[in-house]
Formats: sequence, C-alpha cells, structure tokens
Amino acid sequence: MTKTIWLASYPKSGNTWFRMLVANLSATDGNPVDINDLPERGSIASARGPFDHLLLIDSGLLTFDEIDGLRPLVYEELARGVDDDEYDAPHDTPAVRFVKVHDAYTLTPNGQPLLAGRRGADAAIVIVRDPRDVAPSLANHNHGSIDDAITFMNDDDAGFCVRTNRQHSQFRQKLPGWSGHIASWLEQTDIPLHLIRYEDLRADTVDTLRAALDFAGRPAADAEIRRAVGYADFAELRRQEEEKGFSERPRPHLGGRFFRRGTAGGWRDGLSIGQVARIEAAHAPMMRRLRYEPAGATPLARTA
Amino acid sequence: MQFYRVCGLSVASEIGLPGLIAGAPERTPQVRIRRGPVPEDLPEPSACGPTWQIAGKQFLLRIPDIARFLLNDGSEIVVAPETDAGAADIPIFLLGTVFGILLHQREQVVLHASAVRVNGRAVLFCGSSGAGKSTLAAALAQRGYPLVTDDFCTLTVDDQDRKQAAPLVHPDGRQLKLWAQAIERLDLAQQRGERVRASLEKYYVEPGDVFTEPLALGAVYALREARPPHAPGIDKPNVVDAALLLRRNAYRPLLVRRLDQKANYFHAATTIANVAGIFHLTRALDFAKMPEVIGSLERHWLELRLTEKAA
Repeated sequence: MTKTIWLASYPKSGNTWFRMLVANLSATDGNPVDINDLPERGSIASARGPFDHLLLIDSGLLTFDEIDGLRPLVYEELARGVDDDEYDAPHDTPAVRFVKVHDAYTLTPNGQPLLAGRRGADAAIVIVRDPRDVAPSLANHNHGSIDDAITFMNDDDAGFCVRTNRQHSQFRQKLPGWSGHIASWLEQTDIPLHLIRYEDLRADTVDTLRAALDFAGRPAADAEIRRAVGYADFAELRRQEEEKGFSERPRPHLGGRFFRRGTAGGWRDGLSIGQVARIEAAHAPMMRRLRYEPAGATPLARTA
Repeated sequence: MQFYRVCGLSVASEIGLPGLIAGAPERTPQVRIRRGPVPEDLPEPSACGPTWQIAGKQFLLRIPDIARFLLNDGSEIVVAPETDAGAADIPIFLLGTVFGILLHQREQVVLHASAVRVNGRAVLFCGSSGAGKSTLAAALAQRGYPLVTDDFCTLTVDDQDRKQAAPLVHPDGRQLKLWAQAIERLDLAQQRGERVRASLEKYYVEPGDVFTEPLALGAVYALREARPPHAPGIDKPNVVDAALLLRRNAYRPLLVRRLDQKANYFHAATTIANVAGIFHLTRALDFAKMPEVIGSLERHWLELRLTEKAA
C-alpha cells in the first residue's frame, strides 16, 4: 500500500525544490527530469480536479466552507489509492506518494481535520524557511512589493485563492500568518512530523534529504541521493526554467521567474531595516523556536 | 408538474427548474423528477465513492446538507432534501451533476462542454470546472455566435452512416452561469439575472437568442491554459490522443468507466475526428487576450470551412 506523505510548507519555503529532489531520485536515464514533466502524479492538495472527479459534485457551485467540509473525503479516498484522474497508461505504484500542501493544518466547519488526519496521510514533512527570506520570494511570486508580502505574512486571516467573485483554479488555502501556519502544523497531533529547515537543506542537501527519505519510508542509496542532488541543483532548475518556462509558475502570462535566488540569508542585502523589524516584531517567538535569530536592535551585518 | 426539455429529453418535474424554458405537457415524458424518500445507502452496491453508490440500475448521489438524489434507470430522479435551507439550491444541482449522471445512465455521450452556433453548426468547448467554457461561450455569443448549451452537452452519434453523419448536439435553452468578475470584464451587467445560489457571486446570464433545434456538430475544442510546455494556439492531437481527450472531457469521466461506457466514447471520438475534428485550444486565462482567442478561432473556422470569407 502506497504511503501518503504531506510535503507541508508556507509558500516559497523550498517545497517545490524538495519535490524536484525526490523526482530526480528516479532519473535513471542520465538526464535531470524535466521540470514540467515530473513523474509523480499527485499535484497539490488544494487542486480542484480530484474533488470534482471523485465526489461527482461541481465544486464551482459550493462555498469555500462547504468545499472545506467535503475535502477530507477526497484525501481519504486518495490515500486509499483511488486514482485522482482517468488515464489509460498503467502507472506503477510507488512506495510513497508525496503531496505538496500549503494549507495550514486546520479543522473544517464540522470540526474534522481538513486534511483528514491519519486517514488522509501517514505523516508530514514540514519545510520551514527564514521568514526574512520568504518575504522577497513571496513578493516576486505575488507580483507585488516586499511590504505587501510582509503584510500578508503578518495577517492571521490571509490565504491563497480567497476571492469570491471568480473561480480560482485551486481551493482556498488558509495561511494564517507565517507563524500561525507553521504552528498549526507543529502543534497538530494527528500524524507524525519531520521538520526540515530550508537552510539545512541548502547547507547539507545530501544528509538532510536522506533523513527525510528515511522518515518517509522511501530510503535511497547514497549514489541515488547524490545524483538527485546534482540534477536538482538550483542552477539546473533555473536553466530549465529559462529555456522552456515552468508550468507551476502562478499566472504565467504576467511573466517573471519561479526559481529566483534560492539562497539562505539573502535578506541581509534585500530587506530594509524597517522591513526586517516588521517581520521580527510579528514572528520573533516562532523564529527563535526554529533557530532563526532575530537581528533585533543590533545593526545589520551589512557590508558596504 | 412542469415540463421541460433537457439535452433533447422530455422531462416532467415536480420541482421547478429555473433557467430552462417550460414546455408543453407530455403524456410519456422520458424523465420524471419527483420528491420522495431516498435511502441513505443502496443495498449491495457494486461501486461506491464518498458521495455516491451504484447498485444495478440505481444510482444514489448525496450532496451533504442539500439533498440526496436517487436515479432509477435513467428515467426517474427522486429527490429528498436534507435540510430546509438546502432546498432552494436543489434545482441548480439537479440540472447540473444529477442530470449529467442520468445522461451517463442512459448511455449517452455527455461532455463537460459549453457550445455556440457557428454558421448553423455546434462548436463545443470542453474543459473541467474553471477551464473557462462559459466565459468563452459568453464572449462568442457577444460576437454573434449564439449560445447552444452551457456546462454540459449531449451528442447523439448516428450508427447507420458513421463516415458521413455528424453527431447531433441537443440544446435546451439553458442560461449561462458566470462569476461576477467575468460579467464585469465582459460587460454583461445588462443581461445579469439571479444568483445561482444565494451564497455565491455566480449569476445566471441571459444568453440572448434561444433555440431548441438539434444542430450538427462542427468542431470540438478542449480548453487548456497556456503554461509551459504548452504554447498558445490550436492544434490537432492524433486520433488516439483525441479519443482519450474526449473521454477525459466526459461530464464525469469516472462514470464512463464505472458505467462501462468506454466503447461509446471511443466510437464517438472516431466519428467526430472523421466528420468534425477534435482540437486543443491553448490560451492564457486572461480577459485581455479574449479578442485574440476569438480571432484565432475565426481563422480556424475558415480553415475548417465551417464559415466562409465575407465577400
């Protein structure tokens, strides 16, 4: 039976990179996998397609809360191994199904875990990143300013796909502030959790990835891991995006890049002192908990 | 009792169906809709999902807090409201997913598509919820191509002469359903009707010309958002891919398999590929690009000889 593992993160925290690493574990033909053709099928948990497909109900006629009330049924069904779409080609059943999710870990209006608790997945890998590096990346993602991104990260009522005058391609995803989002995952007790810091994944990709794969129950040989790390190198992902674009970039007609910098600590030359202060004022307790030391009143280590 | 035509079928209903044109009474309607008790479960279901069960010629669908629907052999729908509050919302689900399932039960080819009339023929735009079917149909209706049907569409394929005869599309004069943003961006406020549900910013929109005669199929386009690796444009998949595409754009692809209809869709796809054509229409989901999309469709219709160049 295929295990389901949530890859949970606040947006712009390395989720897609992690998926690229995993996808490249099976790149055995001597080339990195095509970033637009990942072998894995399960897309993001908030995708609309599987809901309409499996429940036979048009989600476009339901309110956000009504949809949330039914979403656990979809995750239970998918975790049981039901196909999320109709394809002809037989596909092998992998040992582990990694599913990206940006939703906070919340309860539905009926008090059920939105992601169906233990019936929706076996475990979760939670990826976190220094909020001071998330902010500029999120600004780029949203085609907005860094200040707006910080406002979003500090807003307990924020979310993706929240507008009610249109139908978003994905369901509403509650993102109750950077701290609130991470707390919702760290504090749930339904499923076991493995925490990854983006910074550790950057600094020691091989060991961090190996530990995550062991946790997920998809152990890989050292050579396999090293090859995947090479194939999913940030420069390679950027090269591919430059050459042919990336299918997961939001609002493709607005231009811009998905794989932007992929750095740890880039905020030191990208954020103003005021911006750093706004983030730290809102998130210092969670930052400390995750070992992101607030710069606080000390002057920034900024080289001239 | 009120009488309607839905996708070419005569319907007698105890429940009023707004958005459809009421018709003359029929002594032997093909489909009856009535209120009545509906069980929570079917005995010995052969297949079931989280909200539905199949047992022989019965199909049970539950839309929580709205209603349960029991479909008997493609000819009767029994409706049991679950809550008083949900009762007002029954017609919209009845005319959508419930009727769509009934058409599958009747072994009809039913596509998730909106359609417009182009020079006397029906041109279909298929796609899943949110693909932009209704919006494109509305924009084409403004441009003088009248709406044939919204959201789903039945095709009847003539077995007698499959090389020649185009499948027929059956309009039912239903109204378009559009979100507030689309109504605003397409400047359709004048035609805006009631909300489809009190809780949604989605409205009925008067389609303009309404007609009920079946039309021969002109072309089928599967809508796709322009995202790498798919660039904007119109292309023609090979016949194998076209057959798969048609099945994936069935109103409920899961039912094609569950109700053993694959052969039907394959047959329809071959016929359509021969007499009309199945295409991908790839475009940005951007209202500003709509005139460009319509321009490329009009050029394509000239190429297909669906239309002729104005003198």
